[in-house]
Amino acid sequence: MNAHNSVTIVMIEDDEGHARLIEKNIRRAGILNDITHFTDGTSALNYLFNSPEGPALNGPALILLDLNLPDMSGTDILAKIKDGNGALRRTPVVVLTTTDDKVEIQRCYDLGCNVYITKPVNYESFSQAIRQLGLFLSVIQVPDIGETA
Amino acid sequence: MIAKLLKRFGPSESTIGRYLVTAMTIGFGALALAIFAAIWVTQRNQDHTFWVDHTYKVEVELGNLRAMTEQAETARRGYMLMPTLQSFVPSYRRAAAAIPPALDRLAGLTSDNPVQRANIAALRGHFAGLVDQRERAIRLTQQGRVDEAIAAFRTDTTVTRMKHVRDLLGAMETEEHHLLARRDFEQQASARLFYVVLAVAALLILLVAMLVMITVARFTRDITASRNSLRQLNASLEDLVQERTADLSRANEEIQRFAYIVSHDLRAPLVNVMGFTAELDSATREIAALIDRVESRAPELLTQDVRLAAREDLPEAIGFIRTSTEKMDKLINAILRLSREGRRVLAPERLDMAKLVASIRDSLKHRIDETGTEFVIEPSLPNIVSDRLAIDQILSNLVENAVKYLQPGRPGKIVVRGSRSGRRVAFEIEDNGRGIAAADHSRVFDLFRRAGRQDQAGEGIGLAHVRALAYRLGGIIDVRSELGAGAVFRLTLPATLNELQDDRP
Repeated sequence: MNAHNSVTIVMIEDDEGHARLIEKNIRRAGILNDITHFTDGTSALNYLFNSPEGPALNGPALILLDLNLPDMSGTDILAKIKDGNGALRRTPVVVLTTTDDKVEIQRCYDLGCNVYITKPVNYESFSQAIRQLGLFLSVIQVPDIGETA
Repeated sequence: MIAKLLKRFGPSESTIGRYLVTAMTIGFGALALAIFAAIWVTQRNQDHTFWVDHTYKVEVELGNLRAMTEQAETARRGYMLMPTLQSFVPSYRRAAAAIPPALDRLAGLTSDNPVQRANIAALRGHFAGLVDQRERAIRLTQQGRVDEAIAAFRTDTTVTRMKHVRDLLGAMETEEHHLLARRDFEQQASARLFYVVLAVAALLILLVAMLVMITVARFTRDITASRNSLRQLNASLEDLVQERTADLSRANEEIQRFAYIVSHDLRAPLVNVMGFTAELDSATREIAALIDRVESRAPELLTQDVRLAAREDLPEAIGFIRTSTEKMDKLINAILRLSREGRRVLAPERLDMAKLVASIRDSLKHRIDETGTEFVIEPSLPNIVSDRLAIDQILSNLVENAVKYLQPGRPGKIVVRGSRSGRRVAFEIEDNGRGIAAADHSRVFDLFRRAGRQDQAGEGIGLAHVRALAYRLGGIIDVRSELGAGAVFRLTLPATLNELQDDRP
């Protein structure tokens, strides 16, 4: 990722187990960025937009988003992040979820999601996918929040 | 239910029919009675006329007889008074000659009446006497013995006889008048009877007509009422059907959604189970390596339990967890697939079935050739309009099963045939494979259920899928089979898939 290593990975995932497995495999891919984990949408949104350490007020970020959350739908969060004038509209969002419904996938891309990954149930595929995601994360460029078009 | 409702609406057709027939019979009976009465009365009238005529004839004869007698008597007396006037003699002869035939005619006319017969007999006696006396008087007068004749006249019984004759004739006339009066009375009585009969018949006919009219009116009213109720019922029935259909499709959607959500939500924990099992596996490998190292360097640290735990118990446990979770994953995927199929929008199109079955055969060519199976597609498979993907999946599954479950040691033979009857078509996939026991015939269509030896890979999803698809296409599937004697799967479908069925959301 960025040389100064300041990009925060925000993971919004209600399943602790999944979160742990994702984190483990990202680390195995050699990604050492901070990973901030939230298990519900409300606190995640609060962190993203309002927290002093959050990406809206403090530096670039990359968001890993699960669609099945207890308090709100992941697509709502996606819509808020990608909202036309929001501070985070250029922040890359990787949707990582169990849902493989065609309509849902289309909807996420329509809302501006950058990558949509279905969690494979098979663990080998799962860890492979996450590691590849890690490799991907290590090469992509994340825009600075402060920049304007 | 409808039969019961119909019964409630008035009398049934058969009751009404019987009622009407009875009424008509009574009506016709009354009419027939009137006609018979008319005929009878006419006959009576004719009789009466005949008898009236008869009476007049008798009276005429009586009058004639009286006139002749009087004339004969007058001629005789005239001749006795004026013997010179010879014209009295022929006048007498004529009158005397007319009497016996008139008497005979009268006897003929009144032969049925004993009273008149007696009267006539008496008359004959008197006339005989009169003729004697008159002949004598005429003869004496002709011989010029007028005094003698007059003297005889004074002494003989002519006057009393004439009186008797007049009385008798009068009595006969009275008798005839009595008869006529009696016949008049009878005639009037029969005329009265006729009118009474006629009135009764008319009344009956009127009554029957009224009854029939009332019945028909009531029946018509009932029919109208029941027709209205039926119409209402029909309308509400349609509503009911629509409502039920809506309920059903709602329930179906609910189930589909449920299956979808459940399978999705089951997946999430399964990812964890599998993930951490993998983690556990790699950790176990590390531990096993450590045990190996310890064994080579400091074997005294190890107990047998530790060795077993690291080398056998842990890998075994992890292996079981793995296979179970993998199986569960397959099951969940199957449910997902079924629910997804249920939600898929059907797209009916014209299907060339021979081509479709041939392509299925080609896709399984490898397996078919490998097992040396003979595959026969009978000519003239009926073409249908249906959803291509669904039909393809159904037939593929059935053919695959046929190839998969062959009887070992018997060269396989699979026959695909089809027929059309009315608006439905039937396709049969027949094999000579290992067959299915009768007890398992319905079970094989259930999800995750299989029959026979479990020596082939599979989860028991194929036929459940086939049945779900067949139902969605408005069809049914069943099987005829005996264990060890092959199986015939029969798919019955509407020849044209109803467009309405694809309008589901």
